[in-house]
Amino acid sequence: MRILGISAHYHDAAAALVVDGVPIRAVQEERLSRHKNDPSFPLAAIEWCLDDAGIDPEELDAVVFYERSMLKFERILTCALRAFPRSWRAFPHAIKNSLGEKVWVRGIIASHLGVPRSKTLFTSHHAAHAAAAFFTAPTRRAAILTADGVGEWATLTVGYGERRDKGDSAINLLREIRYPHSLGMLYSTFTAYLGFAVNEDEYKVMGLAAYGRPTMVEQVRKLIRRTADGAFALSTDYFEFHTTAARSYSGKFIDLFGAPRNPFDPIDLETTEGRRFADCAASVQRVLEETLVDIARALQRETGLRDLCLGGGVALNGVANARILAESGFERVFVPPAPGDAGCALGAALYADRLYFGNPDRDVPDHPFWGPLVDARELTRAAREDGQLVEELEEGALLNRIAGELAAGRIVGWMDGASEFGPRALGHRSLLTAPHSSEMRDRLNREIKFREEFRPFAPVTTVEVADRFFEVPPGGLRLARFMSGVFPVRPEWRSALAAVTHVDGSARLQALDRDMAPRLYALLEAYGRRTGIPVLLNTSFNVAGEPIVNRALEGYSTFRRCGIDLLVAGQAVITRRASARPRPLEEEMACSESAVASGVE
Amino acid sequence: MLTFRVFAMATSFSAYLDRALQPVHHWVWSDFDRRVRKLIAFGEVEGDGGRDILRAAELTADPLLRRLYLAHAIDELHHADLFRKRSAALLRSRRAHSSGLFNATPLPGGHGLDDLKIDGEPDHRLLAFLHVAEKAAAGRFAIYRDVVNDDPLTQAIFDKILRDEVFHMNYTYTQLARISPASYRRYVWRARASRLWKRYLRIAAALAAIVGAVMLTLQYFILVPPFAWLAKRAERREKSGWVPIPHDRVESATSQY
Repeated sequence: MRILGISAHYHDAAAALVVDGVPIRAVQEERLSRHKNDPSFPLAAIEWCLDDAGIDPEELDAVVFYERSMLKFERILTCALRAFPRSWRAFPHAIKNSLGEKVWVRGIIASHLGVPRSKTLFTSHHAAHAAAAFFTAPTRRAAILTADGVGEWATLTVGYGERRDKGDSAINLLREIRYPHSLGMLYSTFTAYLGFAVNEDEYKVMGLAAYGRPTMVEQVRKLIRRTADGAFALSTDYFEFHTTAARSYSGKFIDLFGAPRNPFDPIDLETTEGRRFADCAASVQRVLEETLVDIARALQRETGLRDLCLGGGVALNGVANARILAESGFERVFVPPAPGDAGCALGAALYADRLYFGNPDRDVPDHPFWGPLVDARELTRAAREDGQLVEELEEGALLNRIAGELAAGRIVGWMDGASEFGPRALGHRSLLTAPHSSEMRDRLNREIKFREEFRPFAPVTTVEVADRFFEVPPGGLRLARFMSGVFPVRPEWRSALAAVTHVDGSARLQALDRDMAPRLYALLEAYGRRTGIPVLLNTSFNVAGEPIVNRALEGYSTFRRCGIDLLVAGQAVITRRASARPRPLEEEMACSESAVASGVE
Repeated sequence: MLTFRVFAMATSFSAYLDRALQPVHHWVWSDFDRRVRKLIAFGEVEGDGGRDILRAAELTADPLLRRLYLAHAIDELHHADLFRKRSAALLRSRRAHSSGLFNATPLPGGHGLDDLKIDGEPDHRLLAFLHVAEKAAAGRFAIYRDVVNDDPLTQAIFDKILRDEVFHMNYTYTQLARISPASYRRYVWRARASRLWKRYLRIAAALAAIVGAVMLTLQYFILVPPFAWLAKRAERREKSGWVPIPHDRVESATSQY
């Protein structure tokens, strides 16, 4: 059975193809369109999934959309009505936005793919999150907790999933919290207040939180009160996200927390104002963690299960995930590599396969590499045409060479196999470097990533030695598989791992299993043999404002315009020459003109 | 030939119009908030344009064009950085004037090269488009450079970018002539026509959006109130906290509700 899952229209559109119960392709639209967090209908992603798998649209058994668009429209309309007359500005925008495209999903799919309308199916948003979390996790029975900004009405759901001996499976969502009461919206409101981009920069709030003290927890608790049944409710007069499109927080919110940060002012943690913003971040982070831990703990007591599957954008918060693991009573916590809306494409397809069609459960390969393969030939061709130093090495020699370069303090662009599905670079589209000095972190920030100083970099090491360098609690290695948990760096290693140790002594660890990314694993071993510390700094291969690179040529163009020292794709190694920085245009033109004159071009 | 004349008149009219509108530009740039907003918008547009050209560098099969596009993209991204830094500096220098500037209104947008489709487009079309766009930008930036003479730092940025734009304008033309020696003039005219058409579409879309917003706002105040009253009454009856999901609820596979 061939099922295509689609998520689109709000943020981070994606497509995923499931054949006979197993995912075979999945990619976010942004990786192909090259527009970060591209929300548009993922035509390029769909085309790639189908073309690469050799499947024509008419061969699909079903196309599953990740939410019920009319129900979502109902929520938007109802909220506008409830906010009357304050919603008068938002109303035309919301109606045009929804009626312009978003509610006509069946027609859009039919017109783009040419599949009969009867083959277009829908799941609810949080059911897709739940399926993405549960059906990709290697567990038989698990509690499920999904939390994000909002789907149709639900913002948080709890329930459980099970795989039965007969081969069938089930997801039972027991209850939900409804919009506008939303942990995701609470966090996003602070994201906007702190001058960051909503639905994009929430992780910056988490990074900034480590620099602050949770001195405003009581103020945050005025925004979110716990209800008698163990849920929570937002005090809506502090917010405007449910009434206007222009701003997330109200004047009352500003009265409580002070003036918002101007997005164009850098955060200076030496100033009172900078520390206030860090304290705000620390306070909302603390409240988010406590609320999630409480809900997870109650769910564990209710279900008596040992495993928890976490889904939804909130599950990208690694600090909260680690606290859930430590304090909720669950022994293992599973977070998929794409817990956000992109992952819903995969979740929707799996949900349809297992639950709508009743197909028997199949083990899903436990890795995130479902995207396009890197083609080293296009890299070597372009690099040679540009006069770059290109080498093609045997595997052993390549790994030794790169380990040596990393030990010498070089920054390596590392492209290997299929690209990751989800927001994290987990070893196939990564920038790697030595994790030992804070100068390296500063260099990465300054020359390559062009990002805020307060944001940490993540380490990658092998599962076998992770515990030597990091305080990984029982079950923590599972969270660290897809970089979904933040754990303390052991104090004795903090100075040796300065580039990946956050200000609070923590790190968002990736503990790599040999089977998941064997080449990176081998590189870690080779690096460990040289330096005695098999740990590398692993950050996504992109620069600020751009999606993670996908094709070899995208890696190459990134390599050419920032301070990456080496680029590796397959067996090809490109080394930056001192003179090989892109020349100014005038110089490039002069060279080309002289070349034309001499008949070279 | 007649078509060419019409376009020539249209484009020279556009340049004339820009010059005639110099007092308007003066007025726009004389206000602090508008100035900052303009600079931020330019930063965004240059950044998006830079990424579009970068995409072109990744897609072209022509090695020389790849190198030129890459250098061009780096220029554009640098311009974006200059605009961003200048607007941030202005905001810092006169914080009092900026209150409310970014709180209530979404930042001005605009995506790069007039939403030009890069993937699958031939180089000659992109070069022609870039040439026309850079030429127009150079004309505009020359005017802006002149009207911000009370602000030497902003003026210096326009001056620097103007020089780059002129160079971009020239290299795109030279390269277009290289890859399409027989028909490069035609491509330039076609790019001009396409630009005019897109400008018309933008204006038409903006007008339609205004008309739509007015109609919907009228409906909001005329039709919505009774439904709003019902919605508010229903909201009051809702209790916060957990909402149980019935165990026997059957998820419909085909319903959008």
